[in-house]
Parts: sequence; C-alpha cells; structure tokens
Amino acid sequence: MTYAFAALAFLMAGLATAQALRRAALWRLGAAAPVDWVSGLAKLPKRYLVDVHHVVARDAYASRMHAIVAGGLLAATVLTAFAILPPLAGSHLYWGVVALAFAITLAGSLLVGARRYPKTPKRLSKGRFQRLPILLLAYAAGGTVAALSIALAGPGNAVLPIALLVAAAGGLGLAYEVKGGPMRHAVAGALHLIAHPRQQRFEQDKPDAALVPLDLDAPKLGAELPADFTWNRLLGFDACIQCGRCETACPAFAAGQPLNPKRLIQDLVASLAPDGPAYAGSPYPNARDVAGEAGPLFKVIGPDAKIHPDTLWSCTTCRACVEECPMMIEHVDAIVSLRRHQTLELGAPPQKSFETLANLREADEPGGRPLSARGDFAAGIELPVISKRGAADVLLWLGDGAYDLRYGRTLRALLKLFHEAGVDFATLGEEERDTGDLARRLGDEATYQALARANIETLRKYRFNRIVTSDPHALHALRNEYRAFGDDFEVVHHTAFLLELIDGGKLAPGKLDAGTVTYHDPCYLGRYNGETEAPRKLLDRIGLSRVEMARHGRRSMCCGGGGGAPVADVPGDARIPDIRMAQAAETGASVVAVACPTCTAMLEGVTGRSAEVRDVAELVLMAVEASRADEPRRAAA
Amino acid sequence: MKLVVLLSVGRHPVSGKPALPRTEAQAIRIAAELGASIGLHVGPDAFPAEAALGHGLDRAVHLACAGGPDPIGPLVARIATEAPDVVLAGRRGQGGEETGLAPYAVAARLGVPIVPDAVAIRPAGDGLVEVDQALPKGALRRLVVRTPLVVTVHPNAPAPLPYAFGKARRGSIERVDAAAADLAAVAPAPEERPYRKRPKMMRAAGGSAADRLKAVTGEATAGGAKILDGPTPEDAAKEVLAFLRRVGVLAPAGAGATGPTA
Repeated sequence: MTYAFAALAFLMAGLATAQALRRAALWRLGAAAPVDWVSGLAKLPKRYLVDVHHVVARDAYASRMHAIVAGGLLAATVLTAFAILPPLAGSHLYWGVVALAFAITLAGSLLVGARRYPKTPKRLSKGRFQRLPILLLAYAAGGTVAALSIALAGPGNAVLPIALLVAAAGGLGLAYEVKGGPMRHAVAGALHLIAHPRQQRFEQDKPDAALVPLDLDAPKLGAELPADFTWNRLLGFDACIQCGRCETACPAFAAGQPLNPKRLIQDLVASLAPDGPAYAGSPYPNARDVAGEAGPLFKVIGPDAKIHPDTLWSCTTCRACVEECPMMIEHVDAIVSLRRHQTLELGAPPQKSFETLANLREADEPGGRPLSARGDFAAGIELPVISKRGAADVLLWLGDGAYDLRYGRTLRALLKLFHEAGVDFATLGEEERDTGDLARRLGDEATYQALARANIETLRKYRFNRIVTSDPHALHALRNEYRAFGDDFEVVHHTAFLLELIDGGKLAPGKLDAGTVTYHDPCYLGRYNGETEAPRKLLDRIGLSRVEMARHGRRSMCCGGGGGAPVADVPGDARIPDIRMAQAAETGASVVAVACPTCTAMLEGVTGRSAEVRDVAELVLMAVEASRADEPRRAAA
Repeated sequence: MKLVVLLSVGRHPVSGKPALPRTEAQAIRIAAELGASIGLHVGPDAFPAEAALGHGLDRAVHLACAGGPDPIGPLVARIATEAPDVVLAGRRGQGGEETGLAPYAVAARLGVPIVPDAVAIRPAGDGLVEVDQALPKGALRRLVVRTPLVVTVHPNAPAPLPYAFGKARRGSIERVDAAAADLAAVAPAPEERPYRKRPKMMRAAGGSAADRLKAVTGEATAGGAKILDGPTPEDAAKEVLAFLRRVGVLAPAGAGATGPTA
C-alpha cells in the first residue's frame, strides 16, 4: 500500500507533464523567438525568489499563502515519491516527516480557501479557480491522514485506502488542471520566467520598457492572429493566474472604459485555445458587443472576433498592469503589437486619430502646427537656437508641450532658471520634429521610424554634451527607444537637471511657504525610467511639506494622457484625470506638482479642482525668486 | 464600375512637404467603395501613386516624365485605353505644381461631361450614375448623369481613409514612361505673378452693424438665391440685369451715370 502512495506522486508528475505538453503544442503555433534555455534555467531561482516575490509580497497574505501551500505541495509530493525506496517505506520517522509536509500543505490549502470563501474578492476570477482550494484540501488532508496512519499504525491499517483515494482524487485533479485550469500558472509561469521576452528586466535596476522596433520589411506588420505572437509571448499569456492586480491598477478600467488587462490577456488565451474554460472574472466595463469568434488562426481584434477595437484603443500604455503583474506578463507589448497591425496593415487606427497621424506624417508634428512656432512660447525670454552656434553644453528638447499655452508657462520658468544658473544651452529651433512617440503608441511604426531617423540625423549635426527635456515621453523616446536606431545621447529630465544645478550651487532657491504639495509621478518618468526621487528632492529643497498619494512612485496612477488615449478618446463612465485629481484631493495638498506636459494638460483640465497644478520647475522658480526678494531685506538687516 | 482617380503632388499647407491633396484622398475613398479603381499620375515623382495606395487603392499607374510638359496628353491617352466609367479628381490645387485645371482639360479632350464638387457617387443602373453635388451653404443637388464622365470631389465628401503603410507596401505601382508623342508644352505658357489681393467692392456704408458685417462678408448678395426653371432668354437676361443692379455692379434702372446708390 505504501507503494501505491509513492505511485500517486509519480502519476501526478506524469499527468502534469502530459497536460503541460498538450498545452505546449499550442505555444508552438506562435512565431519563433530566440531563447537561451541554459542561462534562463540557471537564473530561474533568483527570478522566482527575488523578482516575482518582490511583486507578490505587495499583498502579504498572498505571499505567505504561496510560500506555505506551494512549498508544502512540492515537498510533500517529492518526499512521497521517495517511498519507492524500501528502507524509507518501512521507516516510521520518514512517514512522520511526510505527514508533516502534508500538514503544512493542508494549512496552506486552508489559507487558499479562506481567501475565496465565504466571499471571493472582486478582483479574483471565479469559475475553475473556486475548485482549487477543494482539490488542494483533498490532496493535503488525504495525504496527511494517509502518511500519519502509516507512521502510527503501519501500512496495513484500514484508514489508509480511503485516505489514499481522497488524496488521489485531489492530487490527480490538481495535475489535470495544469492544461486549462488554475495550476497552469505554476508550469507556464516558471517557463515564462526562463523564456521571458524581456530578459533585461531581471538584469538591471531600472525598468526595461523600450518598445522593440518593428521590421518594416516583415511579411506581416504587427499581430493579427494569436499565432502572430512569438511563442514565448503566448506562453506569457498562459502564465496569467487571474489575480486581478492589473485591473485594480488599470486607469481605463477605473474610468469605465472597455478595458480590463486581465480580461484582455484571457481573451488572448481564449483566442489561442477557444475550447478552454469560460472566463469568470470581472468583464470589460461597458463592454462592446463582439461575436467572439476565435482560433489560433483567426483574427484577434474586431467586432466579429474576441476583442473589440475600443478595448485596444482604451489603453494609455501607462504600464501599471505590467508593474503589478506577479507573473511578469507584458501587456503593453501585446497591445502595441495588435495596434501596429490595425494601423499599418488595416488602416484602422481610431477615427479621431486620422488627422493627428496625417499631421505627424506630413508636418512632423501632431497638431499640424509650423515647427517654427515651437519657440513662440518664450515670448521675450532669450531662447538660443543651436544652428546659429553649432554647439552648446545642453540641448533643450522642447517637445510638443511648447505649443500649449498653459505649458508655455512651465517652459518659460525653466528658461528663466537656465538663464539664472548660467546654463550654456540651445534648442534645435525649427529643426526639432516630434519624437514620434504618439505615432508609435498608436501603432504607426512607419511614421515613428521616419521621425526617429530624421531627428537623429539632425541631432548628429550639432555638438552638445547632453539633452535636457521636460517631457518624459520625449525623454523615453530619445533615451531608450532611439537607441535601436543608433542614438547614444545622454538624456536628462529637467527635474534631475535642476536638482543638479541646486546641488552644484548654481541655483539658490529660498524656502517656499505654499502649503502642502503632493507629487504626481508621470508614467514615462517613474515606471518607464525608474526616476522618482529627483522631483521629490527638489520639492524638499524648496521647503515644501510633501505628502504622498496612496498610489505614487512606480505604482503611481496615470493621468490618462499617454499612449494616444486622449486622441482615441474612447468613452467611459468617468475621466481618468478626474479620478487622479480626486486622489490628490484626498491628501489635502493645496498644490499638485507635476513634471510632464501631458500630465499638466490632463490634470489642469479637471473642473472644480481644489488644488493648483504646478510643474516642479515653476515651483523652483518661485523659490528662487522668493530668495531674491529676501536678499535686499537681509542686506538691510 | 470602373474608375480612375487622377493623382497629383500637392503641398501640406503648413509644412510645405509634398502631400497628396486631401480631396484626392477623398476621391480615392469614394472610388475604392464603388469598384475596381486605379490611380493615375503623370510626372517625375512616384510619390502620389505610393500615397494613393496607402489611402486605399490597390493599383496605381505612374506615367513618368520630366517635370514641365503638359500632363494632359499622357493622362488622356491612358484614360482612353482604360475606358473607365468615372474619372475622379480633386477640386483644386493644393500648393504644388497642380493647378486644378486638369479635370476640366481632360473632360474637354475626352469630350465627356464634368460634374464639379461631388460629395457622393452611386451607380444608378443602365450606364447612369447619381452624383450628389455640394452647393454653397451645405445645400446638395442630386444629378443623374450618363457615364463616362469626369467628377471632381468637394472637401465635404467623407473624410479620407488614413494612410496605411502596409497597404502602400502591398499595392502595385505600374511605372511606364509617358510616350513622347503625348507630351506637349503647356499652352498657353503659364505666367507667374506675385499674389495680389482682389480689391473688395465698396458698398454704401450705413444700416445696422449686422448689415455692415453682411456687406463685408458678402452674405447680403448670397442670401437671395432665385431659381428659374427653363426661363426664356429674355427673362433670364432681365433677372441677371436686376441682380447686377442689386449688388451695385450696374447703375439702377433710370439712374443715369451717377453710379450705384443705396
């Protein structure tokens, strides 16, 4: 009878392997991708125990639950397998240890159950997931009783067969779930960590967020079918455990736009394997009707397919879902890949973006405004142009915020600070084109690449030491995404640069007495570039008392302005910036500090604001001017 | 239905970069929805043909020739071999070499009618098409015309489809050198003069502010449209004279040579 127990462990392993192989046959439908298996396998433990744990541990309960139940399950099953060795099978001590391992699993199973029963939290999916605690409980309880009965009463006792039957039902059930059920995340998740499409994100401290350039000579542009994704991306979608952390972080979901990252990934899974279990989590808010046809070789996007185009265009590419995902799934890459096909192959970007994209293509600027008007905001403040000088220490990249009347105030503040600190700077003047970030996020990679090449060529004509910009979108493009096109410029955000000026004694701001301030992290600075400290230090230097919103730093919430979302303008129940300003109001701060032209426009556009929206540069200028006003008084004293 | 869209090189109104004129992109949308259509461009540069593919045509013909000669000859020769039901073109030039006169010249050389300012075209069976023609102030006139014909497209037609890089890549451009025999110098030779603002007709001041605004914007004259259905030449001439007197071009009847008065 002890051999039957050991056989159960082998049977489970065999069944799980068979189910995983059946699933792997689907992944193989995907496009080829180079994967370094040896190095990935060697790095798996670190990625699991450090990178994954770091995310999972944000929910302490989930972290403890996993440690106990997964650790117990593995230990108990592996230990039981050793019962094929006769000396062990006869040892009471051995069976005692096995019983202990099963008892730990049992405790973990109860934790799993307690999370879902009596009431399942909203973000978790139900369906087959509700069965998971029952299967775990059966396996763990059956195993505990079986092992204990052998330890205490020997292999011939009467309880053993019944206990073994219960354990087998639970254990084989768990192994079966590896293909389509909850247990898939364990296998697909581990493989995904090995074969992850963005290996760099585990290797460096800063995020790895640059989009990979599209080969414009490829036979098909972007992803149309599930099979157009590389196989390791399909594997990544399968790693999803439907924990719903992404949907709680998603700004479009919060605003009632038809996007739920969890549902999106599950729709991609269901597109690949339409015969899987039905989705049982929260839906897309205000979901558009779709016919729901699916298959590995059927298109993914369309009213007749699984995912409605409105869902695709609701995304702000803020990467909040990627940041929150414990399985390290790259939602935004998938969305951009699908968008590329819509825009490049089908000519079907959102209706409202037609003109924007045409302007970017024909006028190098999303608003169709003359490039020579970019410097108009300066209005009397000296704005040197590099073509007249050939060289400068700092190249100031203005970005398209320069055309905005409100943001002109910020840029004027920045110029005044530069002059005050004696910075040797210049702009590209009318040679500055748009970076193409907007075209790229809207899927128009062809226009983006044309703009990127043209900009790099312009930049190469001049001598400068580094680029400073106040636009995190331009920063991300110039610093990270232009690299693939041969750019290697040093790019600094204006907040980091101002901090440097103050630390270097070039600027001497006084202390401001302007109430409390809360800082809103721009996604493209915080999450995309990992820069969250410089703006906060600046606010501290100028003596403002700083409070944090619940969501800040790399887990900050988007203003709703990224990824072409304002251009696509998919209707929802609320506006994302309204939600964000309400969060700012909760802190009681009288000033919301921003560091991005898009955030400024979005947050300043909120009606009935209780707080002022000010760029960090404007606040620093106020502090510098305040100290200058103090000087004569001090001199007189 | 078989259609040909005439393509030209315009300029983006702000950047001045070469661009397919918007009305031609709109013509492409109308054509692509109606049936088999090809684009046709005569000139040194294949750019408009490529742009037209991106905006939704499957096939374009580029009749290559040096810049300078009159493109009408090669255009007409090619249209004659294609024998389309409808030739679509933009309504006016958009800052490039194109003048907006080509559709008229083509229609004259082909001896077919031209319908300007269309916003929609529908087949009406039996060699007929129904054309919705845009009139001032948003009015529409529905015409039923026998094919073949030339139609120019009005900016109020449905917005052009966005340019899709993949479509431009998929479509085919047939490049043919324009036959030398078809090429002739533009006659009469174009003359370039600096732009001079047309003088505004002075009107007697007075009346309310609204009247003066109308006088400046020309609203007063556009308001009183009068339609005569099959008038005799005498009636028509009387109406024209009465109109000219009303707007002050001719002196009022019996007022002698003292000029217009209010």
